[in-house]
Amino acid sequence: MTTRKEIASNLAVILFGAVFLAYTTRYPLDTWENPGPAVFPLILGAVLTILGAGQLVLALWKFTRRNHREKQRDSGRSVRESLLRNSGEGKALRLIAVFILYLLMMQWIGFFVSTFLFAIISSRLTETTNWGRPMALSAGITLFCYLLFEVWLKLSFPRGILF
Amino acid sequence: MTDHGVLSFLLTTLEPVNFAACFIGALIGTLIGVLPGLGPAAAMAMVIPLTLKLGPTAGLIMLAGIYYGSMYGGSTTSILVNVPGEPASVVTTLDGYAMARKGRAGAALAISAIGSFVAGTFSVIALQFFAPLLARSALAFGPAEYFVLTILGVVLLSNLTGKSRSRSLILMMIGLILSTVGMDPIGGLERFSFGIEAAQGGISFIAITTGLFGVAEVLTVLAAKEKPIEVLPVRFHELYPNRKEMKRSVGPIARGSVLGFLIGLLPGPAATMASFASYGLERSISKHKEDFGKGSIEGVAGPESANNAAAGGAMIPLLSLGLPFTPATAVLLGGMLLHGVTPGPFLLRDRPDVFWGVIGSFYLGNMMLLILNLPLVGVFAKIVRIPNHYLMPIILVLCAIGAYGDNGALFDVWVMLGAGVLGYVMRKFDYEPAPLVVGLVLGPVMERSFRQALIISRGDASGLWASPLCLAMWGIALLSVILPLIFRRSILTTPGKGI
Repeated sequence: MTTRKEIASNLAVILFGAVFLAYTTRYPLDTWENPGPAVFPLILGAVLTILGAGQLVLALWKFTRRNHREKQRDSGRSVRESLLRNSGEGKALRLIAVFILYLLMMQWIGFFVSTFLFAIISSRLTETTNWGRPMALSAGITLFCYLLFEVWLKLSFPRGILF
Repeated sequence: MTDHGVLSFLLTTLEPVNFAACFIGALIGTLIGVLPGLGPAAAMAMVIPLTLKLGPTAGLIMLAGIYYGSMYGGSTTSILVNVPGEPASVVTTLDGYAMARKGRAGAALAISAIGSFVAGTFSVIALQFFAPLLARSALAFGPAEYFVLTILGVVLLSNLTGKSRSRSLILMMIGLILSTVGMDPIGGLERFSFGIEAAQGGISFIAITTGLFGVAEVLTVLAAKEKPIEVLPVRFHELYPNRKEMKRSVGPIARGSVLGFLIGLLPGPAATMASFASYGLERSISKHKEDFGKGSIEGVAGPESANNAAAGGAMIPLLSLGLPFTPATAVLLGGMLLHGVTPGPFLLRDRPDVFWGVIGSFYLGNMMLLILNLPLVGVFAKIVRIPNHYLMPIILVLCAIGAYGDNGALFDVWVMLGAGVLGYVMRKFDYEPAPLVVGLVLGPVMERSFRQALIISRGDASGLWASPLCLAMWGIALLSVILPLIFRRSILTTPGKGI
């Protein structure tokens, strides 16, 4: 992991720890003889923030020890590498968006219909170029899920306007 | 009780109805374990009404069969698609999945089955000799001891990934923080649920694990610019471990069996802790440290043996103290009560048929699983050759069903998606998700025991190290932090070895 990434991730940890600590104050601490519901989360939040801060100090120390030219070279390389490495991430972001849509649709058109549509789109997103196979796969998955989970195991899934 | 008496009770497992119950339970457990997300607790809960018709011994044997069958089945998905079927198989993803990507899925599955069988057999034999004695010594564990035990677990397991101890600790803290969501374990106050009804019972473990491992894996594969690694066609003789792999697995299986059994005796999430502890042990003593995380057979053999031995050992606190510490054993306890069997110190005296019948079914069930699964290794190994555009949608849908099926709440599927995105980002930042899972498992026990210990000692913190057992565990925890630092310092200052 690059030093920049280390600094960024530790800042995120500290921020999370601090927000958690602040939120913990909403609950009672009570006494040491009878510790309240805030005591344990408070300790965890504090330990997390301290660990994050410690890691941040180390990362910053590493960062400042390197000379200016190295930093510039590293920075240029990081940007180039990042652009090259992240070119495939559009697909992952699209899949996350499709998944969110799937969950929102589930309450409206029902679990099985939305699963059928989700399986087709996610299959298309991965590699396949035609529509026939994803549709057959999707029908198979949906039927399998319906028979196994709903009919046999008696799990009840969200129903919508279609099914 | 004489050995002859114990043997006759163990043999009750061979009665046709018990035999059939054991087989059906192990089969259902394997299928449940193979399906990512749908855990043994949910499956056992669904089967309890059916078992009531079988009577206590056969009914509980079937429920126990689902429990340990899922232990084996869970490792199958860990190895093949990097999705742990249940918590104890999380650590198997580290090397099992790496082996599968190298075309050694068959060997990993076979070693997992053999290790599970050997460990299960060991735990039954050990239980026969030590069960009554160990049941008494387990009573020495009070809240302070449980708390120090979980601290020891955090310290020992913080070196789990072998990358950065402080980063592992950060993730464990996040896991512990997530475990505080929901009802306060002592006073019942609702915490960090933001008014969401589904979050009142806590964050679903299944939602987190399926997200961190399953969804994150799909996103990573999808985002990878290069083509996924092609798994070479597997020839028949490659389906099974070769001589070198067998030789390297003997030690880890033996150590995993003993370690798993001992951890199983301690109340807590035994199978999960045992698998993580075994992985840590194997990694620290292995001559092939560099292979860990890249497809080391020791990384599969040790944890898989340990979790199976622990599942056997964990029956002691459950049956002799009536203390369930995992969702699955809690359901098993519920099943026992429904069957009119009350677990506790008197169970061994009052219902030895049930006690030893369930223990004996572990042995029989392991044999069945070995016979059932070894011929199917080839079938399972072919799963990794399914193209991504078929496999990925299947994994995503099964993960969603698993997360939803845990509590029947759509909120859990959102949690799973959130955990998936988090797991994906963590991979980008070189963070391994396994320590977060450890924190999530240890959290409830740690908080409850910490607060109970303080209440008992009337706020005197010295109560947390007053007993010799606590002192010993604090000592081990301290040494495990200090010793690596001393060793590293001595290596750095040794001429020729320093940087």
